[in-house]
Amino acid sequence: MSATETQPDSSYFLRKLHSFTGLLPVGAFLAEHFWSNSAALVSARKYDDVSQDLQTIPFRLIVEWGAIFLPMLFHGGYGVYIWWRGKSNVSAYPWVGNWLYTAQRYTGLIAFAYIGWHLYTERWLTHGRSTYATVAHDMRNPWYLAFFVVGVLASSFHLGVGVWNFLCKWGLAATARAQQAAGRLGAVVGITFSVVGILIILSFRLNWHPFAFYITK
Amino acid sequence: MRQPKIIVVGGGLAGLMATIRVAESGVPVDLFSIVPVKRSHSVCAQGGINAAKNQKGEGDTTAKHFDDTIYGGDFLANQPLVKRMCEAAPGIIDLLDRMGVMFNRTPEGLLDYRRFGGTLYHRTAFAGATTGQQLLYALDEQVRRHEAEGKVHKFESSMFLSAVIDDCGVCRGICAMDLRTMEVKTYAADAVIFATGGIGAIFGRSTNSVVCTGSAQSALLQQGVDYANGEFIQVHPTAIPGEDKLRLMSESARGEGGRVWVPRNPAEKRAPRSIPEGERFYFLEEWYPKYGNLVPRDIATRAIHRIVYQEKLGIDGQAAVYLDVTHIPRETLDRKLEGILEIYEKFLGVDPREEPMKVFPAMHYTMGGVWVNGEDQATNVPGIYAAGECEYQYHGANRLGANSLVSCIFGGGLAGPAAVKYAKSLEKGAEAAASTVFDREKKRQEEKNQALLSQDGTENPMTIWRELGDIMTEHVTVTRINKNLEKADAQIRVLQERAKKMNLSDRTRWSNQTLNFARELENMIILARVVTLGALARNESRGAHYKPDFPERDDANWLKTTRAKWVNSEIRLSYEPVDISQITPRPRRYDAAK
Amino acid sequence: MGDGKQVIVKVKRQAGPKQPARWEEFSLKWRPSMNVIICLRDIAESPVTRDGKKTTPITYDSNCLEEICGSCAMLINGKARMACSALVDQLDQPIRIEPMSKFPLVRDLAVDRQFMFESLKRVKAWIPIDGTYDLGEGPRVSPEIQEQGYPLSNCISCGNCLEVCPQVNEHSQFVGAAIISQVRLFNMHPTGAMNKSERLAAIMGPGGIQDCANAQNCVHACPKNIPLTESIAAVNRDAWKQALLGWLG
Repeated sequence: MSATETQPDSSYFLRKLHSFTGLLPVGAFLAEHFWSNSAALVSARKYDDVSQDLQTIPFRLIVEWGAIFLPMLFHGGYGVYIWWRGKSNVSAYPWVGNWLYTAQRYTGLIAFAYIGWHLYTERWLTHGRSTYATVAHDMRNPWYLAFFVVGVLASSFHLGVGVWNFLCKWGLAATARAQQAAGRLGAVVGITFSVVGILIILSFRLNWHPFAFYITK
Repeated sequence: MRQPKIIVVGGGLAGLMATIRVAESGVPVDLFSIVPVKRSHSVCAQGGINAAKNQKGEGDTTAKHFDDTIYGGDFLANQPLVKRMCEAAPGIIDLLDRMGVMFNRTPEGLLDYRRFGGTLYHRTAFAGATTGQQLLYALDEQVRRHEAEGKVHKFESSMFLSAVIDDCGVCRGICAMDLRTMEVKTYAADAVIFATGGIGAIFGRSTNSVVCTGSAQSALLQQGVDYANGEFIQVHPTAIPGEDKLRLMSESARGEGGRVWVPRNPAEKRAPRSIPEGERFYFLEEWYPKYGNLVPRDIATRAIHRIVYQEKLGIDGQAAVYLDVTHIPRETLDRKLEGILEIYEKFLGVDPREEPMKVFPAMHYTMGGVWVNGEDQATNVPGIYAAGECEYQYHGANRLGANSLVSCIFGGGLAGPAAVKYAKSLEKGAEAAASTVFDREKKRQEEKNQALLSQDGTENPMTIWRELGDIMTEHVTVTRINKNLEKADAQIRVLQERAKKMNLSDRTRWSNQTLNFARELENMIILARVVTLGALARNESRGAHYKPDFPERDDANWLKTTRAKWVNSEIRLSYEPVDISQITPRPRRYDAAK
Repeated sequence: MGDGKQVIVKVKRQAGPKQPARWEEFSLKWRPSMNVIICLRDIAESPVTRDGKKTTPITYDSNCLEEICGSCAMLINGKARMACSALVDQLDQPIRIEPMSKFPLVRDLAVDRQFMFESLKRVKAWIPIDGTYDLGEGPRVSPEIQEQGYPLSNCISCGNCLEVCPQVNEHSQFVGAAIISQVRLFNMHPTGAMNKSERLAAIMGPGGIQDCANAQNCVHACPKNIPLTESIAAVNRDAWKQALLGWLG
């Protein structure tokens, strides 16, 4: 608290790291994950192939832990701390930014819980060998399905707002106009992920493969 | 060597400048203010600050600035120090510029200057239409820097009650009340600089802030510090009427081309913008072709009163005239006048870029004030200095627009080093003063508080204040008539008696604003009498002081400074000659070039 | 017009920091262009509640009454704003008036906003001049910089941006948007820029810019329309460059 501080506070680095990990690698992994799982929209076989490819990447454990689990754990864990320190006042000040602020906190919590459970059921219990059939089987449980939908929507929303926040908080969108554009970009990201995510769920649930016609042989 | 100690009372422009100068010389300062200093009344100054930098190639000089100031003040100011101020003004602008004030700029990156009242030159540097705020912040920031370095100690919720004066008549410190704990304490200092601003509150409603009560000046008067030229009160021609405050519409609106007019037809019913040019009466431009809308404030104010009360041409028969900036491009308005136009828009819900503003004169500035010696801001009591609006010496009988900010900074800048020099010259400082001197003063002030808190009266201080304001505004502002002034003084004395029977509806001892207001009110009443009696005695018209029964300036009898003294608990007026060593008085008229 | 029309005002009273809070209701005579300050003055002149009980005048801060001194910020109908520019005719009744909640209470509607001034000290919100003696003109400043800087220097330290910020609360010591914006202002000035890195370091200290979570309430609540979110973004950009890339030289 002295007037001669010269070094940033550790909380500065933690917050920046939190913001950064949200996008990279967590956001990027989410994109990859949705992309891989979209294979289900082609066919069950295609899905299983892609899944198999991913399960056989070299240094798999290191990549999983270093590039996915640990960053996610940090982003989520520190996020909970941030959630606890904020005090939403959206009822008194119902401005759009304030709604997003509040929603970002709660979707973060939901997404964190969902991802933890999702990892447990689809990665841990299956020893990383889930197939189209096992997932489709899980989806028959309506509770399971509902949680999937909520989790996917919360994650997508959280990423979309996160993109907006990232661009503002790193000063990449500095003017009011740029921040509006960043907001629109965030909305596109959030909506795109939501739509793709729901389509993938529908694919598993309804055994629906809209891109099956890509397969010519 | 003994380390001297200085106290500054008041954290507006003058007080902060004095503080900076003292701190800079290595002497510790205690700075007292009723409000956090960043909230001082200087923030309300709008239009700009004068300095003859001749940056528009018009041939402006500090000598012309000096002449305009003396002439505008109707030759009542002592001239040598005014001359020094005008000569120092360009350096003051440079200093403020170095402090980072966001002055408006020319395309070359130099300061821009605008025209203001009472001059034909572009001499007014400005930061939008919130120049006072910008200047105050610059000084506030410098003081904060000194504070961070431990040279300045602030008491920002503290009300000055009285000076501590020893048996030899030398000031040894002050007695002040903490406005939260309501605790009365004395603070020792070798010299005290007062920069306590104007006295608008004695007129009830004015353009001044809530803290501008003149209470400190009045308390000092009652302790033997003389008060000069009290009768000279500036009424600003253009303000928005309001029940809590009369909000200033800066002269800069006219400096940027704004025009004052009324419909020629008193029964006019059309919207102002649909009234054709030929049916508008631009009375200032017609009556004062040379200066037009930029005549000095006393002239413009009287012209508006004449239009409204004699010619009966006020808008819709009311006390109001149009101040019109609708012909100025929106972009210019937003760049140069946004601050004031926003005030109009917020408080009246009308966009002055689209609709002419409705304005009327309002009490604005106190030319008179604590008597100082014309050399170094020292009063007649050793150890007491005064600077800024609370003293009297720079503006004579009428202040020119944009000169107040200069006088505050110049006066404060003079007072600081003068106080340090005095403090260092003392063989024995405040620490050598008998503790009984401090105890005595503290006891006196505590007893006053105790009496107010315990007495069972019938009078509400707010009511007395409102009545005081009504009396002063009706009789002691623009037009002064002796029999009315006599009546006003009699009424004020009645209020003075009633104030002895005040009943405070709050008797607690924590952040009790009723108590400090009651204390201020007692002082305000005495100062109101100083203004009224000064006006009553001065049988002439000069600057802002206008008596229809004595319509001319009378240099033979009245080219002199009024000096009010406190003798046996009564106000006594005396007079002293004005130093006119530099410019010989000549008639003051603005309908032609001077 | 409006004869006998009443204004109903509810004020949250608290005799001191540790005293219990209570609400008092007043019925005042309506007048044209009445604002909340006039209501509080009317109560001071006749401190009697609506149900006829005698009470004390209300303690509150005010000074300029034209929204430039920053004194009279309070919660009016639940929203942080300046009392002087809160016109009764534009408010729903009963008008609820409360003290700001993010600053220590002094009494009734008066709070202590010293935190803001201390924060200004922390970030060295000043131009470090050599002295007040005559050193000639200041640096040239382009009209463009002036037009960016002037709005920022209009900050009146009212505290509304802190009051509405969800990140300012008992768990945090976030300095708030106003202070961050001042860092931008002083870093923008040619002389002020000489201490840019110190200011940036300070604003990355505890409670610094990292605590902003982009709710953007500040910019809506600012009575002076200061582009606070732009300031935060601009300072953020400079800050991370210094913190993360500074050691690269």
